[in-house]
Amino acid sequence: MDLVPQLLFTGIGIGAVYALVALGFVLIFRATNVVNFAQGEFSMVAAFLMVVFAVDLGWPYWLSFLAALGGMAVLGALFNLGVYYPLRHRSYLPVIISTIGASILLANTTLALYGPQPQVLPGWFETQGILAGGVFFDSQYLLIIGVTAVLVAFQYWFFEHTLVGKKLQATSQDKEMASLLGIPVAGMIMLTFVYSAVLGGIAGILVAPVLFVSIGMGSTIALKAFAATIIGGFGDVTGAIVGGLALGVIETFGAAYISVPYKDALGFLVLVVFLVVRPQGLFGERVAEKA
Amino acid sequence: MALLELRDLSVSYGEVRAVEGLSLTVEPGEVVTLLGSNGAGKSTTLKAISGLVRPRAGQILFEGRSLMGCRPEEIVRRGVAHVPEGRRVFPGLTARENIMLGASNRSGLSKRQIRAEADAMFELFPDIARFGDALGWTLSGGQLQMVALARGLMAKPRLLLLDEPSLGLAPVIVQAVFRIIAEVRRRGTTVFLIEQNARMGLSVADRGYVLESGRLALSGTPEALWANDDISAAYLGGSRAVSAAG
Ligand SMILES: Nc1ncnc2c1ncn2[C@@H]1O[C@H](COP(=O)(O)OP(=O)(O)OP(=O)(O)O)[C@@H](O)[C@H]1O
Ligand SMILES: [Mg+2]
Repeated sequence: MDLVPQLLFTGIGIGAVYALVALGFVLIFRATNVVNFAQGEFSMVAAFLMVVFAVDLGWPYWLSFLAALGGMAVLGALFNLGVYYPLRHRSYLPVIISTIGASILLANTTLALYGPQPQVLPGWFETQGILAGGVFFDSQYLLIIGVTAVLVAFQYWFFEHTLVGKKLQATSQDKEMASLLGIPVAGMIMLTFVYSAVLGGIAGILVAPVLFVSIGMGSTIALKAFAATIIGGFGDVTGAIVGGLALGVIETFGAAYISVPYKDALGFLVLVVFLVVRPQGLFGERVAEKA
Repeated sequence: MALLELRDLSVSYGEVRAVEGLSLTVEPGEVVTLLGSNGAGKSTTLKAISGLVRPRAGQILFEGRSLMGCRPEEIVRRGVAHVPEGRRVFPGLTARENIMLGASNRSGLSKRQIRAEADAMFELFPDIARFGDALGWTLSGGQLQMVALARGLMAKPRLLLLDEPSLGLAPVIVQAVFRIIAEVRRRGTTVFLIEQNARMGLSVADRGYVLESGRLALSGTPEALWANDDISAAYLGGSRAVSAAG
């Protein structure tokens, strides 16, 4: 087996998960100017929903998947109504604290319902993967990369080629002006939360068979995705995708060539380097100018 | 029946009394201008009409029905478009996209129809026709004002609220903007125009009101206002001083 292409494949696979969660961060940040610290918990909750539906209840995988995403859409809507909406006229700090509180609430509710034991979610496919050109293409990683590519393409089309996409962008750029034009601002923000929750949910469901389904998986993924958004440039969609993929690849190579236990540390080392050397990220504007 | 009527309108920002007991009317088909110096409460008046700020007291009637307590989205759907101070063109969207979004208050239109209407707008605004695909943040002040006006017109408003459209623009551009305002009124849209530039405001208006520290100081036809010594001194002088400084 060729090590380099193999690591590249795995790195992109895991990076795609970070990218999906990072996209959720960016979309909510652009719509509300606030980082949603519960974004990772969206992934965790979706993975647990999947365990409930597919494993505990024994539903077909596709049905469980759809049901879990439906659950995430509802969670995103409730999250908007309960966590963001009442504080929308306040400064960013109360909102941030509110999202942190929500993340703790989601994690501990799941803990209370399911206990601390990590759960196992089987992958979507029976086959482990295929060997081609000296590289083993794990079926779950292929799925992750494929779904991420489709979602990124969908999102591009949605934002660039539909009126609703333009209205969402307008809302994120100037809410007051958007409302003067008759754009339903509250509805646009609702849509953003629902979509971001579903996006985070898809990421969690896709990565669950690779990791364990545990209470802590949300914060782990969210930290990586957060790092990805910093690397890519906060608030930038392309940056979130590139940052996520880059972080996945760096981590995977670091684990192979440097040390497995330190692979997470390596990711954060990259984050720190970026914060010091290029705080605006690869694609972003300066954070100072944004503020 | 007046198209727009303000009755004893008062607006405060906490302790600051921005508008006090303002009453005025705008009849269908008119261009009415509201003049006043810095901080007189002009923008606040417009924001109260379009629902951005809540009045402390008074009444706002549009076509005889109250606008009090309505959200900005509802007010623009009822036919009042507000082109605010500072243009507020979305920086990350193109000029054409900005203009297309002006139709957001009208339901049942396809994207194709809206795009066709936006392209037709460029006939009224030939100066920005070449910049349809330019992003908002790349446009100059004059271009931004044109985009903002075109976007306001896309709402097909019965009443167009304009907040200092001449502010910060070169004299030639100001002329172009006012030609467009005249054309807009010729096409049958009523305009309520705010200006610090009294000369420009009164040049297109049928009637004018003058605000001073949130209170109505004077009102009348342009001729009557010009004839008033206080106005000539305060606002003609004022606008000369401003354009000389700018
Ligand atoms: N958001 C706000 N909070 C507190 N005070 C405000 C606010 N907006 C305006 N004011 C105050 O209200 C008064 C009227 O302001 P307004 O913006 O309506 O004036 P204006 O006539 O539009 O002036 P300009 O010609 O400078 O635009 C001013 O004293 C201003 O300082
Ligand atoms: Mg003003």
